[in-house]
Amino acid sequence: MTGVAIVGIGHSKFGRRNDVSIAELAFESIHGAVEDAGIDKKQIQNVTVGSVGGWYEENVPATVVNEYAGLERVGSMRVEAACASGSAAVKNAYLSIASGEADIAMAVGLEKMTEVDTLTAVELMGRGGSYLWEFENFGMTFASYYAMFAVAHMNRFGTTEEDLARVAVKAHHYGSMNPLAQFQKEITIEKALSSQVVSWPLKLYDASPISDGSAAVILASEDTARKLTDTPIWIRSIGASSDSADMSRRDSYVGLGAAVDASRKAYSAAKIGPEMVDVANVHDCFTIAELMAYEDLGFCAKGEGAKLLRDGQTMIGGKIPVNLDGGLKAKGHPVGASGVSMMVEISKQLRGEAGKRQAPIKNGIGLVHNVGGTGHYCYVTVLSRKR
Amino acid sequence: MESEPLTLHSRKSLNLRYNVPISKTSRFWDGLKEGKFVTTKCKSCGEVSFPPQADCPKCMSGEAEWVDMGTDGELLTFTYVQVTPTSFVESDPYTVAVCRLPGGQKVLAWTEGLTREQLKVGMKLRLEARTRSEGSPYYVFVLR
Repeated sequence: MTGVAIVGIGHSKFGRRNDVSIAELAFESIHGAVEDAGIDKKQIQNVTVGSVGGWYEENVPATVVNEYAGLERVGSMRVEAACASGSAAVKNAYLSIASGEADIAMAVGLEKMTEVDTLTAVELMGRGGSYLWEFENFGMTFASYYAMFAVAHMNRFGTTEEDLARVAVKAHHYGSMNPLAQFQKEITIEKALSSQVVSWPLKLYDASPISDGSAAVILASEDTARKLTDTPIWIRSIGASSDSADMSRRDSYVGLGAAVDASRKAYSAAKIGPEMVDVANVHDCFTIAELMAYEDLGFCAKGEGAKLLRDGQTMIGGKIPVNLDGGLKAKGHPVGASGVSMMVEISKQLRGEAGKRQAPIKNGIGLVHNVGGTGHYCYVTVLSRKR
Repeated sequence: MESEPLTLHSRKSLNLRYNVPISKTSRFWDGLKEGKFVTTKCKSCGEVSFPPQADCPKCMSGEAEWVDMGTDGELLTFTYVQVTPTSFVESDPYTVAVCRLPGGQKVLAWTEGLTREQLKVGMKLRLEARTRSEGSPYYVFVLR
């Protein structure tokens, strides 16, 4: 099977982007990725758009994206895996090349969540569980689901609200160095702890924002990748897994079973262990999710996520730097775009192009952990400098 | 100051309401009206499911019977929802819990008559049926 590499990356500014339409927003990252790859857009044979939709006016978004960017006669589709739609799009692009169907393919992650009012966006996300048993009578929101994980984790392992606040402080610290981030300001633990309760114990500063944004990656087959660039970033493996729609059917509330399973599959296929990873982007849609991700991915033992963070091991200089682009928390979380955005960041890190938030790269391996819903889907992608 | 970008406020609005089929699980909702909590048990492999479902997720058999699942719950986790979604803006903030029932099934529901501060993981709660003013049944956890 041919190797598949990321040869072009593009990323829009994340935030409230009511200055652009959905197609204009997608164009920003598509144009960036095409320029970065140094190709003619006509060379792209397959375009997969990862987007959840419902909060913007277009119902069939891939078509308006392709039309606006002049991508004609391409194999195309929109894919949905909730907040992991971006990784699902990358997987589809990857498969189109690995199968021999395409030589160059593009994955576009796209979301525009601020065209509806905030509480409507909260509702559309809250309906992302098992509707009849969780929403119709009980009005669950996304913060509520993750708050349930937080309560269980705090009860079992002694994790505190202050530990959660520390995740937000780290995110904002690195976000302050990322010109494409929604929030580029440092915050303090006190500020995070005193913010409004959204769904106890989670507060406003425990939550990623409602965001607009797009990100794109161009993938190429082995021979083409080597011709196009001296720094192809190889997709070594993609581990995918799933869990129940309904929270009441989960085995545990202190971690995500889908993340444990997806990471095992990804490590095994790439023939690596978690200790080989130089830099990672994990799905910090809420602060508790980042701590659980450390544990689910094997960066530390179960229950020791807060300690790993407190010891500074997930910052530059630590054992495993995580979310050096500000994470979903500070960079923003346009849900369909997030997975692709993570691929863009890890590609930059492995290329050595991350500037003052560059992680030291020893083994040449980076990891993307992208969760859809409350652990409904999980994709773990291992990226590498070496084929 | 920078002016707000120009947007077109769409004139067309869409009010979505779904007709959710519940005929295959109607015994559950009927049971609630009598204060009973029943769910499905696979006649072939014995798997008990909650939420109830006509087809077995373990062995795929379509033969299910209804069994009583009891009402005694042990609190596994909870939250207090302060920012509520659009269709719950009329509601006061609410507390939602997940409890484990004696048979191992887990149920998610609001708690009633308990403040967030009173809730503790491991405490004993009980399922009770309720009826909304317009007649639709639902269920809550109360102190046991």
